[in-house]
Amino acid sequence: MNLFEKIFSYQLTSVLEEHGTYTLTTQERIWLKTMLDHPIAGEALSADLIAKIIDCISEEQQLLFQPALVEKAGSHQYHMYHTLIQPLRKSIRQQECVSIQYENKHGQVTGMQPAVPWRLEFSMVKREWYLIWYNLRSQVAMTTRLIRITQIEDLPAIESTQYNQIQQYMEQKATANQHQALIQILPQYNIELSRILHAFSCFEKQVEFSEDTQTYRIHLVFDGSETHYVLSKLRSLGKRVVVLENNYLQWRLFDASTKALSRYGIDQI
Amino acid sequence: MAKESFDKEIQYLRMLALTGNAYNRQQFAGRLGISIHTFDKTIRKLREVNGEQDLNDLFRYSYVDSAEPTLLFLYRAKSIKESESQRLPMILTALKQQTMTATQLLAYCDEQLIDSDTVPPDEKTIRSDLRYLEEIGVICREPGTRPYHYRLNNDLTDCLTQAELIELYEFVDIMANTQIPSVQGYLLRDNLKKALQATIPAEQWDQRLIEPFHYKYHYDARILDEAHLYTLLQMIRARRQISFQYFSTKVKNNYSARQTNPLFTDENTVVHRHIVLPLQVVYDHQYGRWYLLGVNPKGQIVKFRMSGMIDIVEEKQQSEEHVAKYLAKLQRKTQYSWLVDTGDTITVQARFYKADPLPTDFIRERVVLQGQWGQITDENDEWFIYEIQVNGYIEIRPWLRSFGSSCEVLAPAELRQSLIDEWKEIQAYYESVREDF
Repeated sequence: MNLFEKIFSYQLTSVLEEHGTYTLTTQERIWLKTMLDHPIAGEALSADLIAKIIDCISEEQQLLFQPALVEKAGSHQYHMYHTLIQPLRKSIRQQECVSIQYENKHGQVTGMQPAVPWRLEFSMVKREWYLIWYNLRSQVAMTTRLIRITQIEDLPAIESTQYNQIQQYMEQKATANQHQALIQILPQYNIELSRILHAFSCFEKQVEFSEDTQTYRIHLVFDGSETHYVLSKLRSLGKRVVVLENNYLQWRLFDASTKALSRYGIDQI
Repeated sequence: MAKESFDKEIQYLRMLALTGNAYNRQQFAGRLGISIHTFDKTIRKLREVNGEQDLNDLFRYSYVDSAEPTLLFLYRAKSIKESESQRLPMILTALKQQTMTATQLLAYCDEQLIDSDTVPPDEKTIRSDLRYLEEIGVICREPGTRPYHYRLNNDLTDCLTQAELIELYEFVDIMANTQIPSVQGYLLRDNLKKALQATIPAEQWDQRLIEPFHYKYHYDARILDEAHLYTLLQMIRARRQISFQYFSTKVKNNYSARQTNPLFTDENTVVHRHIVLPLQVVYDHQYGRWYLLGVNPKGQIVKFRMSGMIDIVEEKQQSEEHVAKYLAKLQRKTQYSWLVDTGDTITVQARFYKADPLPTDFIRERVVLQGQWGQITDENDEWFIYEIQVNGYIEIRPWLRSFGSSCEVLAPAELRQSLIDEWKEIQAYYESVREDF
C-alpha cells in the first residue's frame, strides 16, 4: 500500500472535482473493512447499513495489523462511543431543541432542562464524549459528559432568529476565555526537544528559538477550561520546562511541588 | 521511474508542526541538511499543493475551526505530469457516466481534445492508465469476454441513501480521528463528503454537516509517520531486513540529502545506515509518536523513533524460524514495557490521594483509565495503593509526576528519591517568582 498514489494528488483531485467526480481506492475500502471489525462499528452503525457496506466491499482483503502493530500507554477505551451520539447529532443537524436530565458532579440528578445542543466533543485524553449545550432556562453554556446524561426528550424547535443568536453566543463563548503562557525549555534538555514539543503539539502555540543561547520558548494559547490539562502536561515534563509568564500556572506548580514534598515528609523550603 | 521520496517534506512538516515559525530558512535548511535552494524548492512545491497558503498558518490551531487534519495535504503532494492531470480526469469522468472499452475511451479522448493543442493519447497510454486505475481499485472490469468494459468503482457510495451516507460519514469521522492508522480514513472521509454534496442541492448545503464532531488534544504529527507504516508492515510480513538512515536525537539534522549531487555533500555529515529485522511498530498514545522495534544483525533488540528514519531500503529475507525466535524474545522482553523499555522488570508502588470526597473521584478515574495493566491493591476513603510491574521506571515516571501532590511513590526507593529531588528543583524554579503570585 502506497499512501503517495497519483490518484490522491492535489493536481488530479482538483480537476476531478470540477467534473463532480471522485474516486474510491482499494486502500480506503480495506481501511473501512478493518474498522468495521471494531466494537464501535456495531454501536455506531445500523445492522442494515453494515450488511450493505460489507456486501459492497466483500471482495477486499482485510488488513491484519496485529501482532505487528501495537498501541502503548493509551487509555482503556471504555467510552469510545455512546448511544446518545446519534440522537444528539440529529438534533444538532436539524437545529432542534431537547430537554436533558443529567447527573451533576455531586451525584444529584437534575430536573429536565430545556437545551439547545451545540457541539459533540471527544477528548483524546479522557477518551470520552461531551455535549456542549445552551441551557434555555438559566441561559448559560454547559458542558456535560454523555455518560452523565440520564434522559433526553425532544422539544419543539425555537424561532430560527433565536437559534442563530444562541449559535453565535456559543461560538463567542468558545473563544472568550483565552489564556496565555510563556514556557521555556531548559537548554540542557534540548536533547529531548522533540518529545517536549510533541507534548505541546495539541495546543495552539508559537515557538521561538534563540540561536545565541540555544533556547526554545513556547508561547501557549489555551482555553481557561484547559488549565488543568496544561498543568498536568507541565507536571509530567517536570524540571525540563519552566513557566516564565503566567502567574497562575507558576503558583500552581510551586504549590504542587511544595505539597508533593510534604507528602514525602519534607516541609521546609 | 524511481519512487518519489517524501522524506524531506515529511521531516520539514514535522519540524513545522512542532516548532511553528521558530526557525528561519537558513536554520531550517541547516537542520534538514539541505541547501537553501533545495529548501525553497520543497516549500514552493508544498505551497502549491496547499493552495498557495502560508504553511505557518496551517498550524495555527483553533478548536473553533474545522476538524480537518492539517497535515493530510502531504499525501496530496505527489506531482503528476500535466498531460496526466488532463487525461486521467477525462477517462474517469467518462467511466462515471457509462462503461467503456479501451478503444471507446481512445475515441472519446480524441473527440474531447479536438479543439485543443494537446496531442490525444495513443492506445498504449490508455491501456496503461486503465491498468493503473484497476490496480488501485478506482475502476473495475465488467464481467465478460474481450474487449473488456470498464467502469468507475464507486459502488460503496452509489448503493447508499443520503441518510446512510451521513451515518457512514460520521462513523468514518470518528474512526479516522480516534483510531490508528487514519490517513486512509481521512481520504475516505473526503470522498464521502463529495458523495454527500452530490445528493444535496447547493443552496441547501450546510457546512456543519461535514464537521460533525470536535476532537480535543489531537497529535497532528502522528499522521506523518503513517507514510512509513505500510512499508514497515509489509517488510515485517515478508520477513525482510531493512536498512535505513537514522537521526538520533543527539544529531541536529533531521534529514540528509542523498549523496547524488556533489553540491550537497557535506564532509562533516556522517550518515549511519542501520540494518534491522523489523518485528513490531509501536504507537505511543502519551506523545503521539511511533517506534520501530526489531533486532540488529547481532541479535540484539533495537528501537528507533520512526520520525528519525529515512530512506528505508528492503534487504535480505529471513527464515520463518529465525523471525519467530526473535519475535518471541521481543514479546517476552516488552511484556511489561510501559512503552518500549526492555530493562529489568521492577514493581512500582504508589499511593494516590483521592480528590475531594465527590462521588466521582477524578484521580481514581484517571489512574484506572491510564494505568495500563496496573492494579489497585488497597483502598480507603482517603487514598488507594496502585501497583504495577514495569521494565524500568523511566517511562512511567512522567505519568506519575503528572499527578503532582496526589501521588506519592512508595517503591522502588530510587524512584521515590528521584521524584523528591525533582520536586525540589521545581520548587526552586518558582520560589524566586513567589512575590508575584
